[in-house]
Amino acid sequence: MNKELIICDLHVSIDGSPILKGVNLDIKPGEVHALMGPNGSGKSTLSSVLMGHPAYEVTKGSITFGGEDLLDLAPEERARLGMFLAFQYPVAIPGVNVSKFLKSAADAIHPDGKVNATDFLKDLRANMAYLEMDAAFANRGLNEGFSGGEKKRMEILQMLTLKPHLAIMDETDSGLDIDALRVVSKGVNKLMDEPFSLLVITHYERILEYLKPKFLHILMDGRVVLSGGPELVKQLEEKGYDWVKEAAAKQQSAAV
Amino acid sequence: MSSTVMTPPQFLAGFDEAAFDACASGEASFICTRREKAFNDYGMIPNPTSRDEEYRRTDPMLFRMGRYARMPTIATGRLQKTRRWDEAFDVVVSITDHRLGLSEDLPAGVTVCSLNDAATSHPELMEGYFMGAASPEEGRKFLELNNAFWNAGLFIHVARGVVLEKGILIHYDVEAEHAALLPRLLVIGEEQSQFSIIEDYQSSHETPFLCCSAREFYAHAGAQVKLVTLQEWGPSVVHIAEDWARVDRDAMVDLVSLSLGGKTSKMTVGCTVCEPQANAYLGGLYFANDKQHFDQKTLQLHAAPDTFSKMLYKGAAKDKGYSVYQGIIQATHGSIGVDAYQTNNNLILDKGARADSLPGLIINADELACSHGATMGNLDPEQLHYLRTRGIDEVEARKILVLGFFEEVVQRVPHAPIQERLHDMIERKLGDTDE
Repeated sequence: MNKELIICDLHVSIDGSPILKGVNLDIKPGEVHALMGPNGSGKSTLSSVLMGHPAYEVTKGSITFGGEDLLDLAPEERARLGMFLAFQYPVAIPGVNVSKFLKSAADAIHPDGKVNATDFLKDLRANMAYLEMDAAFANRGLNEGFSGGEKKRMEILQMLTLKPHLAIMDETDSGLDIDALRVVSKGVNKLMDEPFSLLVITHYERILEYLKPKFLHILMDGRVVLSGGPELVKQLEEKGYDWVKEAAAKQQSAAV
Repeated sequence: MSSTVMTPPQFLAGFDEAAFDACASGEASFICTRREKAFNDYGMIPNPTSRDEEYRRTDPMLFRMGRYARMPTIATGRLQKTRRWDEAFDVVVSITDHRLGLSEDLPAGVTVCSLNDAATSHPELMEGYFMGAASPEEGRKFLELNNAFWNAGLFIHVARGVVLEKGILIHYDVEAEHAALLPRLLVIGEEQSQFSIIEDYQSSHETPFLCCSAREFYAHAGAQVKLVTLQEWGPSVVHIAEDWARVDRDAMVDLVSLSLGGKTSKMTVGCTVCEPQANAYLGGLYFANDKQHFDQKTLQLHAAPDTFSKMLYKGAAKDKGYSVYQGIIQATHGSIGVDAYQTNNNLILDKGARADSLPGLIINADELACSHGATMGNLDPEQLHYLRTRGIDEVEARKILVLGFFEEVVQRVPHAPIQERLHDMIERKLGDTDE
């Protein structure tokens, strides 16, 4: 199945104010893309809209995934098509047991509507060990009293459990120490064994060293202003976002 | 004779002198005396009306007094009906319309029998407790009603140092229509005893009747006593309950009230932590759907320094369901080192549903830590969205969130099969719609 994500001229508003002003992006199966951009450029809005957050209004444009029009689909239907968002700020849901929640999610995603309970528990234990998580987390309330780093690991644990075709990581690396970043990256790379595409939203070069995107896009003021290969990161680190504006202008005039 | 004009006694419909005369027969004189005193006190308390502060949100008209006839005092017999989890308990008591059934072979140091049997065989254990200081408030009409008219009395005494691993199960099964069941429970935990009691109220579907219960608990030094009440009456039942506990030095009482059934319920739970290091936990779970009405009041009375109490009531209201919570923490003068908490959280799941929350503090001491808080609202949209992004549909996600909301209280229930039953009952209520 060709699970290609195509975002075409996407315009998005929240409470009437436009945030995204014509985003174009194409992620083919197996590709790893990085999305960078200054604060407020619309990165988190894009990730929220991709998963169907109800607060955002798409005013123009389209998103398709594997040929399906995502804008008609509820968040759970998008998840069942194989999309996954690792949240920048995962919510805590006290009283909802991690293991039971993950079982409900795995059942919901599975085409038969149910996974084998024994296999599920075996996988869960293996994945937790792989992410160097204490097995006791499985019986805690979801993100209840978790540290920032533990919450991010929990997002990756969910990703490993649900095995999506496309994952969006919204600043998963923010606030992680070096060890946690290594573990999180290891978890994501495990999914690369299967056909899997990834959109990594970040401010930092370090996670990109682990995840090795082939494509890098820079979002500014609601538009992808510059796209290129991994070499863009170095230039960005050296020269900052002001340079991007100039480079973008050049790229545009060259295109014309 | 004084010539002052006496106000004539006021009786609730169906519970007058004639009804009282019919109910006393062949009981120990000790019990007869108490009943008579209680009947006099009961008559002296004016009938409650919706003008009284306590009944402002629960009009006594909702109780539909006058429709119920007091069932005769039930006789003791062998345990007959059993449920599948009976064997998970040390002692099982079954109370039906006609009979109080008891499991045989009680563990050593444990006395469980009807109140009438206790008055005959163990008056020394009962005296000083029965209708004693556990209920400090006066003027409680329905408490006095039960004091005078109780018809299903049970006595539980656990001797010093005795620890019951599995606990005591009491199940109520009422089939009679338009009857009044007035259960009376007296629980005494001697020093260092440890045990739990589960009271499980069920009735045949659609059978209207009144349950007016009164329970007294005494936890002596170092005892740990837990009571879980699972109220799953049929949809036409009126449930009125008065629970009063006294907790001595180093003892812990844990009262968990799970209210799901019935049509109209009014419950009062009061706990006095009497001596240093005494500790009380009051837990509540209620879910009002359809046109159910739950009114509950808690009192945490700190009568000594260095005493602790924690109260957590969690409720949901759906359809046209209505719930009321009122709470009071009272610390008497000089109660330094008191630590008391009161939390009431409410989920309002429909526009037509309503919940009122009135926490309160009465404090006459300086060095104490008290906190109270209440929350009110629908499910958190961000939590709902989060679950849906994991493939879980909206109906299922809402169910998961509601169960999660209640889970802290459910975890206080000591038996896993009963936890499961609670989950099922909550799910069923969520699934029902009143359209």
